[in-house]
Amino acid sequence: MRRSRARRSPEEVELNLAAMLDMAFQLLAFFIMTFKPAPMEGQINLRLPPPVGITADGTQKPGETVDPAEKPQGLTTLVISVFANPQGKIAAMGVGETAIGTLPALEAKLQQVFSDKGTPFDQIIVQVGGKVRYDELMKVVEVCTRQKLAGGEKLSKLSFVEAPD
Amino acid sequence: MADLESESKPNLTPILDMVFQLITFFIMLASFRAVSIEASLNLPVVGSAKPVDTQGQNSLVILNIDQAGDLKVYGESKPIASYIATQAQVELMAARMTRDDLAAGKELPTIVVIRADRSTPFKLLNRVLVECQRNGFRRFALKAWDKER
Repeated sequence: MRRSRARRSPEEVELNLAAMLDMAFQLLAFFIMTFKPAPMEGQINLRLPPPVGITADGTQKPGETVDPAEKPQGLTTLVISVFANPQGKIAAMGVGETAIGTLPALEAKLQQVFSDKGTPFDQIIVQVGGKVRYDELMKVVEVCTRQKLAGGEKLSKLSFVEAPD
Repeated sequence: MADLESESKPNLTPILDMVFQLITFFIMLASFRAVSIEASLNLPVVGSAKPVDTQGQNSLVILNIDQAGDLKVYGESKPIASYIATQAQVELMAARMTRDDLAAGKELPTIVVIRADRSTPFKLLNRVLVECQRNGFRRFALKAWDKER
């Protein structure tokens, strides 16, 4: 008896995934090697307008009547001076005419000034010696940005000027 | 009797699917902004410096300043005045797409991210700040580490 031929099964196309998998691994290795997580950094946000003159703004014209209740712009600005030693560290500081020795003393003085309800100051100009290091300056900036005005809002107006060493 | 040879081939579909998932994950994480950060700078340590949620604020200009006061962009030194002026023009054009009233010389909405080395003298840093202010930048973010690295 003749064995019947086995029926041919319809041809099946097998998809070879090994090549695609290999390519996918190549891509994955590329993205893993080039992945560089950004370092976690903090920041202090400031609004730094160009520093204005701390004396009268000079907008008054001759013969013009000025409202005496309106303070000249310079009177609302508190000047902080920061000077450095040759290594760039803070050597001397001052708030207005008052000499300040340390950062805690600076913070105490600023709190005293801004807690006074009658204080006219709403902005700070920091006169910085050219040699002051950036990290030392940031300590002063941190102290300034912690201050709150008499109305409760945070001090936001801060400017820098370079002072001659 | 023919020997039956049974071949067991592993099914590669699930592993391929998992690999594509991983690829998609790393593609989504890829960010060109991380390349603009100069990793060699030692930022100052300020305890109150906290990461801030920019809430989608994409308009940033990142300025890396090393100890010598040089402006570093993607590892290369750039001239301060011309680079900042160029960036200001670019940001002005981008801002005008949403605000028609913004004219040259007006305050730009862009935040300038200052990443300066902790030992950079203020004199050199101030050159960059003054140039930024001259070109209309008013909003700054001074970067710092919250703890020593």
